Amino acid sequence: MVIGVSTGGPLTLKALFRELPALDAAFVVVLHITPQMDYRIAQGLDAVASMPVALAEDQEFLRSGRIYLAPGGFHLRLDGNQRVVLCEGPRVNYVQPAADVAMLSLTRQLKGKLVGIVLTGMGKDGAEGIRHIKQIGGITMAQDQQSSTIYGMPKAAAETGAVDFVLPPQKIAAKLREILDPL
Amino acid sequence: MNNRIMIVDDNEYVRASVEIICSSAQLDLATAASGPECLKHLESGFKGIILMDIMMPGMDGWDTIRAMVDRGLYDGNIVVMLTGMGEPDGKMEGLQEYVSDYMTKPFGPDQLIESLEYYLTLLNTPVDYER
Repeated sequence: MVIGVSTGGPLTLKALFRELPALDAAFVVVLHITPQMDYRIAQGLDAVASMPVALAEDQEFLRSGRIYLAPGGFHLRLDGNQRVVLCEGPRVNYVQPAADVAMLSLTRQLKGKLVGIVLTGMGKDGAEGIRHIKQIGGITMAQDQQSSTIYGMPKAAAETGAVDFVLPPQKIAAKLREILDPL
Repeated sequence: MNNRIMIVDDNEYVRASVEIICSSAQLDLATAASGPECLKHLESGFKGIILMDIMMPGMDGWDTIRAMVDRGLYDGNIVVMLTGMGEPDGKMEGLQEYVSDYMTKPFGPDQLIESLEYYLTLLNTPVDYER
């Protein structure tokens, strides 16, 4: 699962993850963030989430029941949908890390589910990624306008026509509990 | 523990209401009526949560963040943007990473305190992580 989020993200992620029990999925969160803040945000999320939260490390293999926050100052790709690759390179959609980079690195898989979610944020990062996730057979969600601090990224994602569910964070959590198995 | 807040807003009524809310929550508040005043506080060593109005005459909120970053004054602070507008303008592109949250005025005391307390918790998290 890849979640793209920007402005308003820290509190929205807190609202989402405190509603989730440990689930049989690896959660990769791409929040537009600076290297000075990434560890603190991960710690803040870890304090409220049922699953452990840590900054994603280069070459690390994703494990189920864990939440990985993309560190600031790098882009994050997933090799074979499960190995983290942190890379430098130009900003994408004016940001680094960019949700599109992580989402577009995903490939169709024969078993298991892929889920892409775009939450509150300015700009359009995540929209191309959501379109791609839908194309390769994934499930896609975007935060609704009313609950979004800034309805930029979720709107751009919804406008691709590739979003299955448009929901507030609590209902995104309920939907995830429905489609994912408990750990 | 750092419990310092700075309100940067050219509207004195907004500054006054934030002052009342922060004082009731026993938070230490600095006030700035403009971007340059905000930078002066930072140059004097302020570190904390900065509530930044976007629309200010002369140097607006985005210009102020850009100046903070360019002058090396951003580290150790968390920026929450304040605005009366429904949607932020395109000047925010490229500055998203420096803005943790965004509040639309008018905001209620509870909403402000909840956000400030959470961001102060983050700000006071010791960073023992070596990349």
